[in-house]
Amino acid sequence: MVVKKEKLSSKIKYLFPIILLYYFSISEIDTVFSNYFEILSFNLQLIIVYFWVLRNPSILGYGNIFFAGIINDVIMSSQLGTSSLTYLTVSLVASYIRAMTVKITLFTDWFTFIVALFLSNFVYFVLIVNFTELNMNYAELFYNTLFTFIFYPFFWLLFNSYISITGLKTNEG
Amino acid sequence: MLTNRDDFGIAIRSALLQRGAKQKFSLFVLICFSILIFFFDSFSNTFVNTARSILKDGVYKVSSISSSPIRFLNFIQESTKNIYFVHDENKNLKKEIIELKSKGLQVDYLKTENKKLKQFLNSEKIENNTFLTAKVFLDKKSPFLKSVIVNRGSKSGIKIGMPVLDNNYLVGRIVEVNYFSSRVLLLNDLNSRIPIVIEESAEQAILTGTGKSEPKLEYLPDFFVSSANKTVYTSGKDGVFSSGIPIGKTKIKDNEVTVDLFSDLNQLSFINIVPLAEDEAKF
Repeated sequence: MVVKKEKLSSKIKYLFPIILLYYFSISEIDTVFSNYFEILSFNLQLIIVYFWVLRNPSILGYGNIFFAGIINDVIMSSQLGTSSLTYLTVSLVASYIRAMTVKITLFTDWFTFIVALFLSNFVYFVLIVNFTELNMNYAELFYNTLFTFIFYPFFWLLFNSYISITGLKTNEG
Repeated sequence: MLTNRDDFGIAIRSALLQRGAKQKFSLFVLICFSILIFFFDSFSNTFVNTARSILKDGVYKVSSISSSPIRFLNFIQESTKNIYFVHDENKNLKKEIIELKSKGLQVDYLKTENKKLKQFLNSEKIENNTFLTAKVFLDKKSPFLKSVIVNRGSKSGIKIGMPVLDNNYLVGRIVEVNYFSSRVLLLNDLNSRIPIVIEESAEQAILTGTGKSEPKLEYLPDFFVSSANKTVYTSGKDGVFSSGIPIGKTKIKDNEVTVDLFSDLNQLSFINIVPLAEDEAKF
């Protein structure tokens, strides 16, 4: 009984980032605060994907990242596959950084997040401009990216606290 | 230098192809799959359209259910706020009712006169105010798209292009129709363009979404004298919308004419979908 309970709590611990990613993709909760400050919005999914792939790609799983992107595209009415590609681009950078670095610090994570954001926005921009007829406000895309970058340390601390409180193992198993 | 390049190659290859112990797919496979889906989605045939419609209906339903706790919290917050203001609001509403009653008689007279004149001119059809009420069941804000999802789809006769009203004021048009749900593109979206006419002067222009709360007027006449507080209506020049649907009041902002909408696009809960001109008889 005790072993079962432990197994369940350990599963829930590992499921939290996945639930968070799916919930923010599918629910009405958004990270657009234009009612309070016109340019304030950020992309929490990108932060979740980058942070958790950097820690351990198997916690989120690339398949879940892909599906969360598809769901986000349906909700946002983007062409299917757009968000998946941007999330997977961020995963690719995170995975590369994970392979190249030994020590995890806020500074290296935050600094390399610029590269991930740059590449994912580049993919998004190329897809939207060349293959869809949507008009886009580039200033809003820029502000969204800027605030995603600015808020990263806050979520870095939050997720790291979660890891230390729950004792989550972040090495590939 | 060669070693550095080797390191980069190994790291990229491992990031793209390594699956790890628990992963079912490698990044490379999923990226290829996403690209495939992206191009597949741009095709339009019966199979793709049906699959897309089923997927969207399903996701919207799940999304609506998962958002219900949040909506309930918002409802409680709004209700608590309303209780504080209900007394003052009641006083003001009583005053407004008296004013509106006297105006109502005038409107009835003008309506009859307008109807007679239209019949006399044998011009446009007379609107019969038939519409379909729908519930907004998903309103996720995005910095890039201003739209809401409603619980009526092709099953209820909804078609792309139908105008959408909130209390008789235009708020947007239908841009995507699934079997049980539809997407409404709001007037403030960057992709929204509506032909309008300004009251009294009867000048025509295009109402263009800016992505912000107030859309702006474009293609105004060369010698247009901008003035604030003029009511803006649909002109019906596109042949899709009926003419005379009220939209908002003009506002001058940084040498631009913007429109302060009558409806608050962040507070939509029930909307009315108006049939297209050619469908009005069947609706």
